[in-house]
Amino acid sequence: MTPQKQTKPILLFNDECTVCRHIGHWVQRSAQSKSGETSILVQPIGDDPGILRSLNPDLDIWDAYETIHVVMPDGSMRLGGEAVAETLRNLPNTKWFAWSFATTIFGFRPFQVMLNVAYAILADVRPLFGCESCGKPKVLRPIQWVTKWARNLFAGSPHRSPSPHFSLSSAARRRPLAVSVAPLPQSSHS
Amino acid sequence: MGNETLDHPRTTSLKPLSRDKIQTVTSDTFARLVLEAEGPIAVEFMSYGCAHCRAIEPVLEQVAEIVKTQEKIFRVNIAIEQELAGTYQIQGTPSLIMFLDGNEVGRVEGPSPTVSSVLTAVTQPFESGAEAD
Repeated sequence: MTPQKQTKPILLFNDECTVCRHIGHWVQRSAQSKSGETSILVQPIGDDPGILRSLNPDLDIWDAYETIHVVMPDGSMRLGGEAVAETLRNLPNTKWFAWSFATTIFGFRPFQVMLNVAYAILADVRPLFGCESCGKPKVLRPIQWVTKWARNLFAGSPHRSPSPHFSLSSAARRRPLAVSVAPLPQSSHS
Repeated sequence: MGNETLDHPRTTSLKPLSRDKIQTVTSDTFARLVLEAEGPIAVEFMSYGCAHCRAIEPVLEQVAEIVKTQEKIFRVNIAIEQELAGTYQIQGTPSLIMFLDGNEVGRVEGPSPTVSSVLTAVTQPFESGAEAD
């Protein structure tokens, strides 16, 4: 099957997550103009890594589940808060204020940073809204950044600003799981 | 208003696809790679949408690296390979099934996502088998 040429951004969302699903459907509804045209496509991540690779060969399904992705028509990708900003830029009802995320003040994008932080918080508290697919809530990352920054400050070591960082590792999603070992009698599958 | 054109690109640099160290087997390759293969093999029945599977994945990759000289570890995506999931009566994910010379010798459902726990899960059935011999 030859993949169709992508002409619109595609928002990938975790269909197993209640919060993500609601947001995905809201985007889908909001993206439709009065003429019925859609400005951004919304697609569940699904279970087939091959389908995602057809969108972008570098698109890893593990990464897609960890943070929100928007695949652009040119093949590039926006992640996390950048993906949210890109989505808002493409919605008829929100694009009027979405320009603010691109506003740069002395090389700093304050509104984008705020959006990144807001996204990080939402991503961390998703499990509180009944998302079984998201595991247990993590310690909120902005609190971690501030704690780390303060610790470095008081330790007298050169500190780095608590800039948002979205390359979460799956390893960070550590949670105790019920272990049930159930050895079965030998069986052969011939 | 509504400036949709970005002045500078904000494409996040992509990470290399380093995670797929564990080979995925399908119903077409399962017999050849698992049932007809010699030696100990562990197969993880998983689904990408499952948070527990995502939590265990980096751990399983570490374990696969540790045991690579003695044991092979494969992955089956049950969302696609539903027939295999049915054949092996997978009740939940992740489930690890250990095979020795094509025969199932052990099974662990929902192992804790720690190296020690997963390492025990994928090696213990073969150790007990060796002791019995």
